[in-house]
Amino acid sequence: MALLTPFSKVPELNTATILLVEIEEQLQSKLADVIVHYEKEFNVNVRLARKLPLPVENKESRPRIDLIVFIVNLLSERSLQSVESSLNHLHSDYFLGKVCFLVTDARCGSYTRDRLASVRKLAASHQCPVICAEPRTADGVHAAAARLLSILKVSAGMSPIPTTALYLSTLTRCSATSDLEED
Amino acid sequence: MDEQTRFVLRRIFKKIPSRNIEDLLKNWNCLTADQLRALDYTRPKWTLVENIISFCEERRLNLKHITNLEMINRIKNPDSDTWHTCQLVEAQDDALFVELTQFKEQLKAYLEGVIRHISIKIKKHEDEALWIRIAWGDNFSKPNHLKPTYVVHHLHTSYVFICNLVAKHKILLYQALMVSTKHGSIKDAHLSNRSLTAMRTLLLRHYQQVFPNNYSRILDEGNTCPSHPCIEKEHAAHEERRDQLASEAFGDSPTLKLETAVYRLETRYRGNVKTTFSDEEELFRGVVKFSSTSLLQSLRHCVASGDFSYPIFLLLKTLTQI
Repeated sequence: MALLTPFSKVPELNTATILLVEIEEQLQSKLADVIVHYEKEFNVNVRLARKLPLPVENKESRPRIDLIVFIVNLLSERSLQSVESSLNHLHSDYFLGKVCFLVTDARCGSYTRDRLASVRKLAASHQCPVICAEPRTADGVHAAAARLLSILKVSAGMSPIPTTALYLSTLTRCSATSDLEED
Repeated sequence: MDEQTRFVLRRIFKKIPSRNIEDLLKNWNCLTADQLRALDYTRPKWTLVENIISFCEERRLNLKHITNLEMINRIKNPDSDTWHTCQLVEAQDDALFVELTQFKEQLKAYLEGVIRHISIKIKKHEDEALWIRIAWGDNFSKPNHLKPTYVVHHLHTSYVFICNLVAKHKILLYQALMVSTKHGSIKDAHLSNRSLTAMRTLLLRHYQQVFPNNYSRILDEGNTCPSHPCIEKEHAAHEERRDQLASEAFGDSPTLKLETAVYRLETRYRGNVKTTFSDEEELFRGVVKFSSTSLLQSLRHCVASGDFSYPIFLLLKTLTQI
């Protein structure tokens, strides 16, 4: 089973690549449109996928992926299951700060609380950050895009302050402790 | 014009909305231009209808003209009643050579031979459709013009669309159709819908069909190309293939609004778990019912977004292949 590896290709000059993985394909195109127009200092390539593994045909033409974002819609059970199965296709090197979880609709419905808890547990076990986003308003999409870009800058090595993705991940990684059971 | 004719005329106009009356009378072409001009369409409907009836009496129109009027109206607005589809099978050798006049004569001869009082009217529409209006009586009473049966058939196709047929006359009509189209038998296709136009479009394949081919489809305006050159879809080829499959099965945008579909399932349990299904010889039987506001559109969307595995897709594809 071919795993996706982060360091098997040479990076391109002044370019960062982000991969958005979402089984429903709703938020990813909106985010992609905002991301490519937002960043002016370097090129951002956005690749959209429904799930991993990625098709083998694109292997040669695919650039090095600096950040993988798994978008989980908390209103659907299928979303979380698809992300869990996609994680098996990633090389473990990616979990050193190059993977991020984005959840949507965390405030709606009654099942979302349990799903959010499982996403947080999953993220904590892989030491990745969890970002909550509001997909229905333009402001929410912009805010999510800005946060993703700030993480992408570090994982692609474009950050002005010398820092690495691993270091950032120790600051941003999710901790699913028992403080969730407060309320 | 006798009382019964007037009654039938009133009942016909009762079902027609006022806005359609003017066009209908022009198409009918039985009232003079002066009379048409004299009608005042701003008056309430019952006044208008009484005026029309008095004009008809002046012109001495009879039941034939009235039924013609009803037929014109029904051809113009076919989608107001439920239509059922039947399929002619076992075509005999000369079924393809049946001509229009031959068909008409044979149908009339058969039905008139069985029932003494029956009123049959056959019209050919410009789109090759044959419209048949049948008012049934029996050997003792006059035909009932208030509940006519309508049949639509395209010659040399195997589908017949029937509206308003009671069980009593079903066998007769089926036999008449079999004889006049030279087919061995006719069966119920289990497809009913209010919209005749949509059913015809689907079954007679009047829409733009997509055929399987080895090359990718030419992108047209409706296709989703990413808006920016830096955005790329990983699964683009897969998406195109799925879209192609969906269009082959259901057409680009199906017009027929199916609300329920029922599948009869007969299958065998396959597995190596020791359960009550260990008896391999017995078939597992069940009924699967799909319902939706527009089934074909939702199935097409599900197939295009990859929600179904290929074997399930092959089963669902048969929905449009009667």
